[in-house]
Amino acid sequence: MKKVYGAYLCTGCGIGDVLDVEGLKDTASEAGVDMKEHACLCGADGRSFIEKDMSENGINTVIVCACSPRVMQENFQFGEQTITVRANLREQVAWIGERKEDGSIDDFLQEMGTDYVRMGIVRAKKAELPVPYQLETINKKILVMGGGLAGLTAAKEAAKAGYEVTLVEKEAQLGGKALGWRKMFPTAYPYAELEAPTIEQLIAEVQADSRITVKTETEVARIAGSPGQFNVTLKDAGHATEWDAPARVTVEEQDLIAKGEMEDPNKGFKKYTVLNPDGETFGAVVLATGWKPADVSQYEHLGHGSLTNVVTNAEFEKLAKNGKVPARVAFVQSPGGKDNDQDFPYCNSVTSMVTLKQANYVIEDNPVDGQAYILYQHMRTPGNAELFYKGMQAKDGVFMTKGSVTKVAAAGSGLAVTVEDTLLGDDLQIEVDMVVLAAGMVPTTASQAVINLAYRQGPAFMDLNLFDGYADSHFICFPYETRRTGVYACGGVRKAETMEETMDDATGAALKAIQCIESANRGVAVHPRSGDQTYPDFFFSRCTQCKRCTEECPFGALDDDEKGTPLPNPTRCRRCGTCMGACPERIINFADYSIDMIGSMVKSIEVPDDDEDKLRVIVFVCENDAYPALDMSGMHRNKMNKLVRFIPVRCLGSMNMVWIKDAMSSGMDGALLLGCRYGDDYQCHFVRGSEIATKRMENIGETLGSLGLEPERCAVREIAISDYDKVPAIIDEFVEEIIEMGPNPFKGF
Amino acid sequence: MSMNVQPDLEFIRAMKEAGGDTLKKCYQCATCSVACPLSSDGNPFPRREMILAQWGQKDKLITDPNVYLCHQCGDCTEICPRGARPGEVLGAIRAYAYKALSWPTALADLCSSAKNLPLLIGIPAAVIFVFWLISGGMHIPSTEKFANVGYGHFFGHWDFRWLSKNVLFIDIIFLSAVAIAVISLYKGVTKLWSGMVATLDNKDVAYRPSVVQFVKLFLWPALVEIVKHNRFKECTVNTDRVKGHLPLVLGFIGLFIVTIYSAFTQDVIGIFIPSMHGPISMWNPIKLLANVSAIAMIVGIGILWMNRTKMEAEGRASNTFYDWFFIWVIMAVGVTGMLAQVLRLIGIPSLGYISYYLHLVSVLMLFLYLPYTKFAHIIYRTFAMAFERYRESSFVRNPLND
Repeated sequence: MKKVYGAYLCTGCGIGDVLDVEGLKDTASEAGVDMKEHACLCGADGRSFIEKDMSENGINTVIVCACSPRVMQENFQFGEQTITVRANLREQVAWIGERKEDGSIDDFLQEMGTDYVRMGIVRAKKAELPVPYQLETINKKILVMGGGLAGLTAAKEAAKAGYEVTLVEKEAQLGGKALGWRKMFPTAYPYAELEAPTIEQLIAEVQADSRITVKTETEVARIAGSPGQFNVTLKDAGHATEWDAPARVTVEEQDLIAKGEMEDPNKGFKKYTVLNPDGETFGAVVLATGWKPADVSQYEHLGHGSLTNVVTNAEFEKLAKNGKVPARVAFVQSPGGKDNDQDFPYCNSVTSMVTLKQANYVIEDNPVDGQAYILYQHMRTPGNAELFYKGMQAKDGVFMTKGSVTKVAAAGSGLAVTVEDTLLGDDLQIEVDMVVLAAGMVPTTASQAVINLAYRQGPAFMDLNLFDGYADSHFICFPYETRRTGVYACGGVRKAETMEETMDDATGAALKAIQCIESANRGVAVHPRSGDQTYPDFFFSRCTQCKRCTEECPFGALDDDEKGTPLPNPTRCRRCGTCMGACPERIINFADYSIDMIGSMVKSIEVPDDDEDKLRVIVFVCENDAYPALDMSGMHRNKMNKLVRFIPVRCLGSMNMVWIKDAMSSGMDGALLLGCRYGDDYQCHFVRGSEIATKRMENIGETLGSLGLEPERCAVREIAISDYDKVPAIIDEFVEEIIEMGPNPFKGF
Repeated sequence: MSMNVQPDLEFIRAMKEAGGDTLKKCYQCATCSVACPLSSDGNPFPRREMILAQWGQKDKLITDPNVYLCHQCGDCTEICPRGARPGEVLGAIRAYAYKALSWPTALADLCSSAKNLPLLIGIPAAVIFVFWLISGGMHIPSTEKFANVGYGHFFGHWDFRWLSKNVLFIDIIFLSAVAIAVISLYKGVTKLWSGMVATLDNKDVAYRPSVVQFVKLFLWPALVEIVKHNRFKECTVNTDRVKGHLPLVLGFIGLFIVTIYSAFTQDVIGIFIPSMHGPISMWNPIKLLANVSAIAMIVGIGILWMNRTKMEAEGRASNTFYDWFFIWVIMAVGVTGMLAQVLRLIGIPSLGYISYYLHLVSVLMLFLYLPYTKFAHIIYRTFAMAFERYRESSFVRNPLND
C-alpha cells in the first residue's frame, strides 16, 4: 500500500485558543505532511471535511491532531484500509496550559504542541496496516475439564450457544461434589428456604444434549497447541502414559541435562513440542476441575481426627444427606483460637453460608430439641444471602456468637466446646453431640498442574505465589481468564464459591471460551486488547536464541522449535509486547507498534540545545492505566509540566531499552516510565510488565553510569488509574530532580 | 468467668410470646448501647442482654439490675437498624422475670397469658360474690338506707360493737390478698437482691449496711427519684409518657394515704367509736384527697392508655397482654370506684351496688396480682434503683482502689 498522508487539526475545545495554529501547520509541512484545520473535527461536518479531503487527494493515512486517542474513537474511524493516528493536543496540551498573562502564546506550550504533531506524523509514517494472523484450520470445539456443577453448566451453556463440547470427568459418575449435597442455598426472593439441588436434572440435560460428548473415567494427559487448535491427549483416569505433560525444564537445567549432569525429569515422556497424531483437537478449554475438602487435622485443639464426632462441614453434609443429624451441634468457623480471627483457609464466604445451611439441618431433623451453635469470627453472607442469614438467625434453636474457640474436648458421651471472648461477656462451655469445622475448599490447582499443558513454560499455570494456588489471572478486571489464553477457569478451581455463583461463573467461562475461539478465528487478540489485529512479528534470521522472549512472555505464548529458536503461537498471545521489550536484537515488532516507530518518535522531539530552561524529559506511559490517568488529569484542567513529552506504550513490559538510549543520545535530559503497581496487589493488565521494566531500567542505569550520565536520569514510577490528581506532582518532582542535575552533557552532539 | 451453656428453649418461646418476638433479629451491632444511658464501657446494655436472651440465659437476665432499671424509653428500639426492638425485649424479660421471681408459681402462670383472662377476672369475682352470699348482706338496700350508710352494709350488718361486719369481711378478703402479695414479693425481692449481688465484681463486701442505713442511703433516695420522675425526663422518643405516669404515681400515693387512714379509722378507731363507720363528708380533707387522687389516677392511666395505643399504631410498641392487663385493671379500679361514689350521691342503690361490687373485684385483682403483673415493677424496680445506689456506694466500691 502506498501511503498518502493527510493531517487534520481541530481548533475546537480550546486547542485553537492557546496554540498558534499556523505554527502547528508549519510544523506539519516541515515534516512533509499538509495539515488542514477545522473548528470541530469530531462533528458531522468535521468528519465529512476529512472524508472529502481523503477522497479528493487519495489519502489513506490520517493524522488527527485533536483530542486523546481514548475518546471519539468511532468518529475518527475511517475504515479497515485507513491508518488513523491521533495526536493528543487537547487533554495533554491545550488543557494543561494557557496563554501567557499578556495574551501571547506560551512558547513552552506551543513547543509541546509541535512535538506532538511531529510525533503523530512519525507514527503515521512508521505504521503499517495490520494483517490478522489466520490459523490454517480452526477447531471450534470446547473441552470442558471436570463434570461437576461448574463443568456441567459450562458444557450446557456452550452447547446452547451452538458449540460442540467434550466433557471429561475422571470419576465414573457425573455430578461431582454437588451430588452429595442435601440442599442448596435459596436462589429466589425471599431467600428463606433451602432448595433441593438441581444437579440430577442438570446431569440429565447434559447427557441428553447431542452437542455434548461425555467422557467419564477420563483425564487429560496433555494439552498442546494453542487456542483454535489445541492438540489434546485424553487418557483413562489414573493411568500414566507417555503423553503425560512433561515437567518444566529451565534453560540452565536444559544445559545440565545436555551435559549429563542432571537426569532428564521428562524421560519416557513425549517431548512437549510433539503433537499427538491421535489427539483430539479443540478450540478452547474450560477448566472446572473443582476443589478438595481441606484437611483440618493440623488444628489440634479442635480435635479433628483425634476426637470422634468432630467432623468437617463436608463430612457433616454427607451425614445429613444420608440420615438424621444429632440434636446439639457446634459449628466452628475459625480455627485460630485467640491468636488470630481468620476463618479456615480457602473458605471465602462459602463456609459461613454452608454453616447456616447445616444449622438448618440440625433444627429440621430435631424439631423439639435441636440446638445449632454457630461460633464465628466472621459471618460472610454477601448479597441476597444476607436475607438467608437473617432468616436463619431468627430461628429458635440457632445460637450465634462471635468468639474464639479455644478447645474441643470429650465430655461424657459428648463434646465440650470452650469459647472465649464471646458477645455474651463470659467464656462459654457448650456441651454438644457433634462439632463441625468449617473447612475450606482447596482448589485442585493448589497441589497439581491439572491443566497439563505441553508448553515451554511448563504444564501448570504460572504461579506468582500470590493466590494460594488458585489459577493466577487478573482476578477483578478479567475473571475466568488464566495466564494461559484459551483456558478459562470456573467453579471451585477459581474461587471458593456457592453452587449459585458456580452456575454464573461457569456460564461466564463458557462465553469466554467462545469469545476466544471466535477471536482466534478472526485473527485478533481475545483480551485485554480485544480485537487487536496485530501480533508480534519475529525477524528470525537475526535471532540469537537468547530465549529472553520465551522466558519473559507472561502468557507462555512462545515454545522452542527443534533448533531451539522461539516458536510463536500467535493465538496464545495477548499482544502486550513484553517480547518486543525483551529482545536485545530488536527483531520483534508489530505492524503499528515497533522499535523503530517509538525510537523515531523519540528522535522527532525537538531538543533545544542552547536553552537551559528548555530541558526535555521523555515519559513512556503505560496506555492501560497511566495514560488514562494523564488524560483525566487534563480533563480536570490540572497543570502539567511543559518540559515533558508523553509517549504511550502498550505495556511497560514492551519498553525496549534502546528507546532510552535514543532519548539520551538525542540530548534529552531525562526519561521516566509510568506504569502500574506491581507486587502483591499488582494492577498490570499483563501481569508483570512494570516489574520487568523496572528490572530492565536497573540495568540501563548501569549502562548510563558507564557513559558518565547520572543513572537517576532514568526512573520508573508506579501509578494507578485513580492517581490522576497526583500525577502532575509526580512528574514535577522528577523534572525538578533533572533540573537539579543540569542538562544532559551530550546535548547538541 | 466461664459459663456452662444450656439454652432454655422454653424461655425463648416465652420471650416471643411476651412481645419480644423481634429478639432473634439482633445482630449485636451495639447501636442500642450507644443510645442507652445505662450502658457502660464494660457492660454494654442492652446489647449483651439481647444475646443472653437469644441464648436463653434466663438466670442471668432475671437478676440483672439493668433489666429493671430500664424505663423503656424506646430510644434503642427507635434506632435499632435491625428492627430487633431491644426496649420491647426488655419489657418481655421483665414480664418473664416477675413471673419467675414470684410465688406461688401457679398464680404467676395464670397472670402471664390473655388466655387466662376469664379466670383472672372470674376468681376475684367469685370470691367477692361468695363472701357476699356468706355474709348474708345479699340484698339491695332501700334508697333511704343507701343514703345513710352507703356501701357500709354491703357485707351485712351486726350490732357486735367491736368490729363492723362489713369491715371484717373486707379485711378477710383484702388482707389475705395483700398477705399473699407481700410474701410473694418478699421472696422475690430476696431472690432478686442476692442475684444482683452475685453480679458484682466485688462479692467480698466487708461491711453490710444496716436496715436503717439501707433505707436512708439507698431506698429513700430511690423513692424520691421515682416521685420526681427524673429518668422519664431523660427519654427523647417517649417523652409523653411522663405526662401520664406522674399523675398516676401521685394518685396512687394519695390513695395509699387515704387507704391507710381509713383502715386505721375503721379498724382501730371504729372499734371504739362505731360512728366512724359510714360515708364521710365530701368536704372532709381525706375525702377531698381521695377524690383528687382518684381523678389524677384516672387521667394518668388514660394518658398512658392513649399513648400506648398511639405507639402501637405507629408500630413503635407491641401489643402485649402484660402491658394492657395492667392498664385495664387500674382503669377499672378508678372508674368503678368513681362510679360507685357518684351513684351513691345520686342515690341509685341497685346500680351503685353493682359498681361497688365491680370495684371490689378490680381492687382485689390489683392487690392479688401485684407480684405477677406489670404492677410488680413498683417493688422490683424500686429495689433495683436502691441496688444501683448500693453498687456505687463505698460499701461495694472501695474508694481507695478506684
